[in-house]
Parts: sequence; structure tokens; C-alpha cells
Amino acid sequence: MAELLQPDSRMCNYFFLYDGSKVRGEADPTRDGICYFFPEETPLDKQELLCGQLAGVGRCVSELSSSPTRTLRLRRNKFAIRMKDDFFWALGCSVDVPTVSVSEFLDQLIDLFCFYNGPVRRSYQLNSQETLAARWARYLSHLQSGSSELSHIFSCLRTIDSTNVDPLLLLKAALILQACQRCPLVLAGCILFRGRVVSTQMSPGLTMKVMVHESETYTKAQRPNGTSASSSFSGTVSSTTVFLTTPELQDLQSAPVDKGFSSDFLKPSSCPTTPQRDGPSKKTRLSRTLSDTPSTESQVSNPSSSQPPQKASLSPRLSDLDVFSPAPSHSAANSLNPSPQSLRPSLSNGEHSVEDEMEESRSRNSTGGRSQIHSDGDGSVFEEDSHLNGGEGEGAFGGVFDFQAVESGNEQPHDDKVVEQDSSVSCGSVSGHSAGKSDPPPLLPPPQGLSDASEENALIPMTLYMHRVKGLVLALLVEPHFMSDATSMEEVYHSSLASLNGLEAHLRTISPGAPGGPGPYTFAHFDCVQSTLTTNLSGRSGGAWDQPFVRATSLLHSHFCNTETLQEAIIRSASTAVYGTRSVAQETYFQQNGGSLRNSGIPNHQDSAFSLPSKARHRLLKHGVNLL
Amino acid sequence: MKCLLIASESAEMLFYWTDLEFQQNIQEQYGASQEEGHGFPAFEDSISTLFAPIIISFSTMLTEGDSYTSFTTENNHIYVLHQFDECLYIAVNGDGEEKEEDLRRKIYVMNKMIEVLFGMVTLSGNLLRKELRARDTEQRLRLWKHLQSLLETYSHLRENDQSFLVEAVERLIHPTLCEQCIEFLERRVQQINSSAERGGEEVLHAFILVHTKLLAFYSSRNASTLSASDLLALIIMAQNMYPSNVDVDDPSPEDIDSTSGSGHESFYTPEPSPTDKDSSSSEKPVRGSTPVFEFVDPDIQMAEDSLSTLEVCPPDPATPHRVFLEVSQKDGLYPMMPHSMYCLPLWPGITLVLLTKFPHSGVAMSVYTFLEAFAKLEKRLNEGQGGSTRGQPMHEVRSKLDKFLKTLALNGIQSSQLQNVWTEFKNRAFSRGGPGFSRDLIPWCKNMKTQLCGIYRQCFLSDSGPDDTPRRLSPGLQERAQTMVQEKLMDWKDFLLVKSKRNITMVSYLEDFPGLIHFICVDRSSGQMIAPSLSITERTTSELGKGPVAQYIKNKMWSLVGTTRHYLQKGYSTLTLRDGDFYFCYFLWFENETGFKLEAKDIPIMPDDSAPIGMLARDYYRKLIRYYSKNHPGEPVKCYELLTVHLGVIPTEIILQHCRQLASKLWEPSRNPLL
Repeated sequence: MAELLQPDSRMCNYFFLYDGSKVRGEADPTRDGICYFFPEETPLDKQELLCGQLAGVGRCVSELSSSPTRTLRLRRNKFAIRMKDDFFWALGCSVDVPTVSVSEFLDQLIDLFCFYNGPVRRSYQLNSQETLAARWARYLSHLQSGSSELSHIFSCLRTIDSTNVDPLLLLKAALILQACQRCPLVLAGCILFRGRVVSTQMSPGLTMKVMVHESETYTKAQRPNGTSASSSFSGTVSSTTVFLTTPELQDLQSAPVDKGFSSDFLKPSSCPTTPQRDGPSKKTRLSRTLSDTPSTESQVSNPSSSQPPQKASLSPRLSDLDVFSPAPSHSAANSLNPSPQSLRPSLSNGEHSVEDEMEESRSRNSTGGRSQIHSDGDGSVFEEDSHLNGGEGEGAFGGVFDFQAVESGNEQPHDDKVVEQDSSVSCGSVSGHSAGKSDPPPLLPPPQGLSDASEENALIPMTLYMHRVKGLVLALLVEPHFMSDATSMEEVYHSSLASLNGLEAHLRTISPGAPGGPGPYTFAHFDCVQSTLTTNLSGRSGGAWDQPFVRATSLLHSHFCNTETLQEAIIRSASTAVYGTRSVAQETYFQQNGGSLRNSGIPNHQDSAFSLPSKARHRLLKHGVNLL
Repeated sequence: MKCLLIASESAEMLFYWTDLEFQQNIQEQYGASQEEGHGFPAFEDSISTLFAPIIISFSTMLTEGDSYTSFTTENNHIYVLHQFDECLYIAVNGDGEEKEEDLRRKIYVMNKMIEVLFGMVTLSGNLLRKELRARDTEQRLRLWKHLQSLLETYSHLRENDQSFLVEAVERLIHPTLCEQCIEFLERRVQQINSSAERGGEEVLHAFILVHTKLLAFYSSRNASTLSASDLLALIIMAQNMYPSNVDVDDPSPEDIDSTSGSGHESFYTPEPSPTDKDSSSSEKPVRGSTPVFEFVDPDIQMAEDSLSTLEVCPPDPATPHRVFLEVSQKDGLYPMMPHSMYCLPLWPGITLVLLTKFPHSGVAMSVYTFLEAFAKLEKRLNEGQGGSTRGQPMHEVRSKLDKFLKTLALNGIQSSQLQNVWTEFKNRAFSRGGPGFSRDLIPWCKNMKTQLCGIYRQCFLSDSGPDDTPRRLSPGLQERAQTMVQEKLMDWKDFLLVKSKRNITMVSYLEDFPGLIHFICVDRSSGQMIAPSLSITERTTSELGKGPVAQYIKNKMWSLVGTTRHYLQKGYSTLTLRDGDFYFCYFLWFENETGFKLEAKDIPIMPDDSAPIGMLARDYYRKLIRYYSKNHPGEPVKCYELLTVHLGVIPTEIILQHCRQLASKLWEPSRNPLL
């Protein structure tokens, strides 16, 4: 529906980033501190005035209150402010937009920047102001593009119109994601179709961030011969480094994903990690990551560097993981994926030797021929090598994993085969993929990033993997070394390819639902958990009832945000009445259109405004909104 | 953590008020530098230094066409800024007790009080600056202390008194007694007005207050109506002089009974504020450095204690307050006309107030007319229309002003400066060779306005009047009025004090309206309200129960009023909310005089930073009625509001029926003595 909405509905009148550290002395001109200013065509002295005054007042107020300034309101503009270190962000919009929404918008924008560029200070050290200005502009326009006033109010995700889509397709999409997640290097993913979410495993905030990259590559991928996937995935797969905050990462790692779940789309893989096991080990894993891996991260992002050493240094995480989590009952899923195990060596050297032995024996036992293929010419050879180099000699800690090895060794072999088979098929294309993944936005060498991270709310580098099939995109957040782990990559790629093609074919045939004309009623239903909005409001048609509805919705939404105990409200003027109701999970707004309201003003139970709740309940059922 | 300050455009501090927490906060920031000069001026310096960047940035942004209205911080401190003429008001809250709306209201109320105290002097930024920031430190401190205490009295009333919550006057409901009192007041007023000791003054209005509630109100025949806004402001002033001590004065039987409760803890024990040049009481104790409010916690000595380090000498107690109130004449409204206010305490909690007309008030009316004429001219010139009008209306002004100057001279009012400026103005505007009505005249318009305000100041604000006649009712006359009303009400005294706490009670409504918890009904055309009493103190048990529950409902009620105002500002006149276990309703509607419901009409939508909705500072409802009346010419329009709180379990239909019944019942003439 977003396509239909007014192009002029702009959230942002002004946006700027001001670096106070550059303007310390009396003589320093204000312009030195301006890192980015939108709209860029604003005359410089106007820019200086706004930056100088707002930043000055912002600092003065935050000193008086010993707390960062949050909003600065003027008579005609409203500025959401964010102050951090010496940076000062301000996002100005019309005063009609609810304050909650502006602040949220600014947070999103800054988060988006950090997601793709890492800590702000460091980005500005590494990149030219122009490069970053282009990025700010891109993020800003992305956040504003094609969204309606309503979506500004709720800052919601753009989703496909689920009422037009066969639910089975949504299920299919969800299953594809679950299947991918079976590889332990994959944290979570989402599937997008033409810039809209089909299915996602990530939090709304993360999904929103991921979508920016999607929309960037979308245009590039519009080439007529959308590379057919089977031949090579160089053209359709891309990746970029992204930065997650600690809570985001924890969130992903604690998501209740049943990795052992089997589906029709991907044969049960041997990737074993279960969420329960992830949970407790999170903390250690993180701290270990931060302290142990600095030197490797650069290599992760640098595809041409040799792979074995980084594998080795990344391995502590995985071994930790296993150390802290005893084998769960459904051990079928246990630790037999070649890739994680193969990554285990260096720190806890003893283990890996055991594991390797186990693995070797397993592969010998079950499918000896394949293991040969395995070790033949592809990326996995290096992995094998690395274990062998590092591990053989020391067996001190081996005991820990014995039982796991035994347990899983018995059950897994046939699954393993399949995966290995898959990966071996695509061996030829490995070199291709490494070329493909390096092309999107500049990858930042993160060694300093990690030391920065501890200061700046710990931004942890991860990789965003994208697999495009025409208008459809599978986006996965993966561990940084996923891209160099050919086995995992191929496994994920090939396992999902067919399903993605199928899904794309189906989605493509679905015609966008015709914009319903101005119906007898207008509604908006906001799912607070998924951050999605369902509405029959179309910006183009009618409009007579739209403005009052949007205005009322914006007022009520702010009211709901500020008053926790408020459950429902009816507000009415002489000409319109809007009913709003909310629970923890949703907010719903309803307006009856057409016909004049009866008996307004004086208290009257026959006032038609008071029949809105029952009408809403009744009417919205067919939109899948249950208010009962 | 609260603060309110007024600054001039050049960041000069014209007035400030802070609570102790804010003061401590500032002092911490200033640390060592503060320790030596712990006194008042040092604190004033630090506060003005801290706010200076904000004030200056405000002016800078203003010249660019858009300036600040509010700030918030992450720890939920709120700053609200508003400029009246050349004075910038800044209000700060850092304890979450006030919302942005409350702060804005506080600023407007402060401005209203300053208008009541200084009248048209407020129209000249220069003169007002001199008034507020007198050269004489002692005088300045006295004034600031008075303003601070007015502000605190207002804040206390707004937080605790329903009539100040909705900004409408509450009357004591006792028709017979009310009628008797009015008759009695009428006789007193006639007596005074025929007395030789009245010193040229004429009593226009007389009313009796029991705490903040109105028992009886009498206006003499040739007086114009006293607006609700002014009446509310006068009640604040009376309360400031004789604060009703809610806990101690309450002789209601419940208080005596409830001995088992917690010990005597008075959270608010105000004492009469110290006198200043305006105070008039004959009974007022002279106080030294006692704080205005005593809290249980001895640490909470108000910030302005430092102010009272200078002993204030008590002025003549029989001197009235000079107040500037709106007067409606046949030819229009005249704001800020001088009156004298005599506030005569009968007993603690019961006060007789006399409002008198001032001998030279004709001068004020003329000054206002001229000011208006020059302001209009200035506006026209600014818009570049000077040439076309050729100052036609100004010729009329010219002859009038010439006459006015002669009258001034006859009355011994110093007007040579005005005379000079006027002569110069005439030379420029009217002479054939002169520049005529062009933009060059704008500074002279301003100059004339300043001079006129100066005349006004000289006549009504300065201590040395135009002549030596004692400009007040003689002390003997005041005393007689006081004792006679005392005698009259002697037998009713205790009853009245209780009645003021139990004006109407929910009990009488429970049978007809099961599930109804509370309501407020306001007649906006007369500026009066009715609501069951909601007095919540430690010792008394209200009908809402005791302690937390009652407090909770009170808080809900207060926040509901804020919410309804917010929606009203955005054009919504009906509102229902399901909030927790309660169901709130709000209705605003119009009727004609015979009680016939009038068609609803969309009401104007206003920006967030517009004047607060209410009657005290700016009368929103008067504008609203005027706006509505455009469709009903010649027909008086009445405007009513009803707020109800029900238990959430009551079905909505029943709640709405209740509201309807309540609305018709409360304003039935037979049942309601107010109309």
C-alpha cells in the first residue's frame, strides 16, 4: 500500500550531525563541526545557525539537568536530539508528528548508520565526510521512502499484504529460514520480496536495518538475466559487514529456534546447535569473542587472506559453547556438522583432536567415498588441514567431549552425507563466491572496531549474507567467518535455492490487491510485537476521511504510549469520531466514514460515536483483527 | 526540582523562583564559588549565568523567525519557554510532578498575576523591567518575595483545589444563607458608598470567601461584571494573604473522631505571607524571616528564605492592594483598569473582599484608548499602509489627546515629557512639510506608548499620587464593615468552615448513579463549577476512602482534566477513556438560554504551544463561546462541561445514561442555586 501514499509526506525537515569536538575554541568556525546536514542545499550560514544554536542550547540544557537533551521544540519545528560523546544529532520535523515518533525515527537512523558502519567516531576517522554524507542521505531517504503518515506514526515495518498472499507461502518462507538456521553460523534471517517483509526471524528493528541493504542491491539486481542460481552464486549472493549491538546479538542467540526441526525444504542437516544450549553460554562467548579474536576479524572481512588461521582463532567460541552446554536430550542434533567441529582447534587443542578423530572415523564409517571428495579440492580441505595441524598432538582436554562424540556419532551419519554431498556439488563455485561477497559497501577493517566496541556500547561485527532470486531476497545474519566457510555457505545456498525460486515464482504472480476505495470505515491495526501495520487507508483515494483519522490516530497513539493503563478511548469532534483500543500486543484505530454523526455534544447514549467499539469488533474480524 | 524565571531580552534576571532542590542543584554545579557568598545575590548570579545561553539563543532564533517553546531531557526534565512582549519566561520541572502543559499554565498565570499587579505598565517592556527589577535591592527583594509567594499559593491551589484545577469558581451551596448575605452586603456597600470617609473610592463589588469558595457575591448597580479570570486571580491573592490551613482549621466531626489515625502531620502549613507595600491587613502579624510555607521537614526551608534576611518594614495595614482588572463598558472591554482590593479577614478561612473603583480611573480608560490607537497606527505603518490611511483616525486621537493633556495638568499629574513627545509626534505626523505617516513615525509611536504607560504608572502605581488625598477607605470604615459582617455570620462560622469542605458530597448521588465515583460539572459561561468535595488529608476520611485509594483517584482526576484539555485543544469535545479499573467521560456542549441543546460545531484546532485552556490566565472558553455564537447571533450561548469517573465494570450504556441524567439534573434551575 505504501506505493499509493503521498510522496510529500516527509518525516524530516532537517537532519544534522554535529561534532562538538571540532569546535572547541572561540575562533573555531561552526562549520567545522558540521558532519552532515540535510537538506544539503541549505545555505551554509543557515546550517551554521541551526547547528550552533541547537547544539549550544542542547548542551546548556543537558548541563543544567545533568542529562542528555532529548527534544528541542520550536514553534514550527520539533527536533529530536541525541547527544553522545561530542556528537550531536538533531532531526527536525513538523510539530504535528508525535514526539515519540520523531525520537524513534532518529534512533532508527543512528542505529542504521552504526549497523552498517560501526561506531560513528571511527567511521569518521576511516572515511571521508563525503562518503559518509552519501550514506546518511541514503539511510534517511530509505527510512522516509514510500511511507505514509501512518507508518511514520508507528514506525512500522513494510510487509507484504498478507491478506492477498496464500498463507502457505508465508509458511514456506518461514520454513526456509528455519532450515537455514540449522547451520550454526547462521544467527537469523528474513525473506524480503520487493522491499517488503515476507517472513523474518529477527526483531523488527533489525529487520528494518537489513532491509536498507536489500533496497540498495535491489536496483543492481534488476539486470535482465538474473543469474540463474544453479550455475554459480556469484551474482546472486552478496555480503557485507554489519555491526550488532550486544543486546541485539543476545536477542538473536537466545531466540527459541528448534534447530532439530525437519522440513521438506531442506533435509535435516547436521548443524546441531539448539537454542537452549546457546543461552547459558552467551556471556562467556561474547567476552571471549571480544578479547580473543581481534586479529582475525580483519581477515574475515578480507576474503583473499588465507583462511586457516582465522578458523583457528574463532574456534574458542564454539568450543566454549559446547563446554558449557551438556548434550541435550535430543542429541540427534548434536555437534556433528563438519563445519563447526572443524573450527574447533586452537585454544582447546585437546578437544579438537578427539573430535577430529571422531569425525574422521565417522566419515570413514559411513561414507568413506565422500570424505574423499570432501578433502579433495574445496574450501573444506583447509579446514581439515587446520585441525590436523593444530590438534594431533595434545589430547589433554579431550575427555570432555567424548560422550558427545559417541552419542552423536551414532545417529547422525546419514544426515551428514546429504549435506556433504550438497556442498561437494558446488565445489566449483567457491572461488566465485569469494569474489562476489567482497563487492558491496566497503568492508571496514575491524581490529580497532573491537577495542572501540567496548566503549561505544559494544558493536560486534557480523556479516549480512544476501541471496537474491529476482525480486526475492533471503537475508541472513551470519557469523563473520561464514563467508569463508565454503561448506556452510554452499549448504545454505543450495538447500534454500530451490525453495526460494519456488517462492519467488509464487509471489510474483500475486497481483497487488486493488486499493479499496473509501470504504464505509477506516482502520489501522498496529502489531506492536512484529511492528507491522494493517490498514485500509489509502493515501490517494478519497482523503476526506483520511486526514481526521490520521490526526486522531496520532494523538491517541501518543496517549497510549504515555499512559500505560489506558485501554481504549473514543474521541469525537462534531464531524468525526475515532475509536482506539490497545493491548500489550496491538493497537487498533477505527473510524466510521460517511453519514453525519448523530447527537453530538451533550452526553447522549444514542450518540453514534459510542457504537464504534462494537462496530470495530464486528467489521475488523474480516481483516483478521480480533478485538474480542 | 522546579524553577520559574523571567528574563529580559538582554538576559537580565527580572524575577526568579526556585524550590530548594533546584537551588541545591545549581549550587552544586557552581560548587566552591558559591560557598563564600552564600547569600542571595550570588545565587541570582549563578542562575542567570546558567540560563544566559538559553535566553540569548532564544533571541537569536527569534530573529530568524522561529524560536523555542520547550525542551526535554532524557531524565525527563522539562523546560517551557514563552515570551510575553519583551519578557522571556522559562519554567523548569525536574521531578515529574508537572507536565509541559502545567508549566505553560504556570507561566501564563504568572503573567496574569503580573498584569493584575502592574496593569498597563506591562505594555511597556522598559517600564516593566524597572518595576520588576527595582534599583533598590530591598524593594526588589520585597516584590520578588511577594511574587514568589503568589506563585506558590497558586501552585498549591492548582494541585489541591478542584476549582483551580478546572479554573472556575466554586460556590458554597446554601441558597438561603447566600441570599441573606447578598442582601446584607448590599446594605453595607450602600452604607460605605454614602460615607464621607470613603476617600473618593466607590465600592463596586463585595464578596465573602470561605477558603477558596464563594459564599456570596454582590455587585453595585453601576459596576460591570467581574470576569471569572479576575475573580480567580483575586482569590489567589486573598489566599496568599490569608492561607486557609486545611488541616488545622477543619472542625468537622470526622476530624475529631479520627484520633486513632496517624499522628498530626501537616504537609502544608502555610502562614500569612509577609507584608509588603501592598498588603492591607489590620490583623496581620509582622513576621521576620519565617518562611512562607512550613513543612514538617525542617530541612525544607524555602529557597527564598535568603530573601528575607532583609527585614521588611510593615506598611500601613489599612492600605489596599492595587489591582488592575478588566471592565466592560458599553463601548467595549477595557482591560487593566485600576481598582483597590480590601481583603478583610473575618475568621481564619473566611474573608470579606471589597473591590473599589479608583478616583482617577477615567485617566486609565483614556490611556488605554490612546495606547490602542498608537498600537494600531504602528501596526499599519509596519505593514506599509501609513500613506493610504493618512491617519484619519489619528486626527480624532489628536484632539482627544490634546484635551487629555489639559485634564492631566489640571489634576496635577506630571505630563511634561508626554507633552514634549506628543508635540514632536504632531510635528512629524501632521505638519505639511513633515514626513507624515510613514515608517519613520514608528519609533515615535513606540515613544508615545512608553510615555502613556509612564502617565499610567505615575497615576496608579507610584506611592505619591497626583494629590494628597488619602486614596482609600478610612481604616475606621474598613473596620466597621468587617465587624458588621462578623456579627452577621457569627452563628454560621463553624457551619461554613465545615460546609466548605463538604460542599456537595457523593453520597447524595450514589443512589441515583450507582458506580459513579466522581464528577465535575462546569458552567463555562458563568465560570462556575460544581463537584463533590475531594479533600484528602491525612486525618479525614473522604468518601473515596482514605489514604492511597483516595489519593489515586484524585491523581487520576487531575490527569484526566489535563488529558481532556489536550484533546479539546485538538478539536475533540467528547472523550471517553477506559483506564485501568475506571471509565472516564468528558463532554463539552452548548445550550441556549432556555436549556435547549445547540447543534455541535467543529471547534478550532490549536497548536501545542498555544495559551493553556482554562479561564484564569487566558479565557479560552470566552473565545470559544464567541466563536460558537457567530452562528447564533443575538442569542446568548451557554457552554457546559461534564467530567465523570465510573467504575470500569459498569456497562458503557449505563455510564452514558448517567452522564446524560447528571447533565440535565445539575443545571436544572430548581435544583441549582447558582443560576
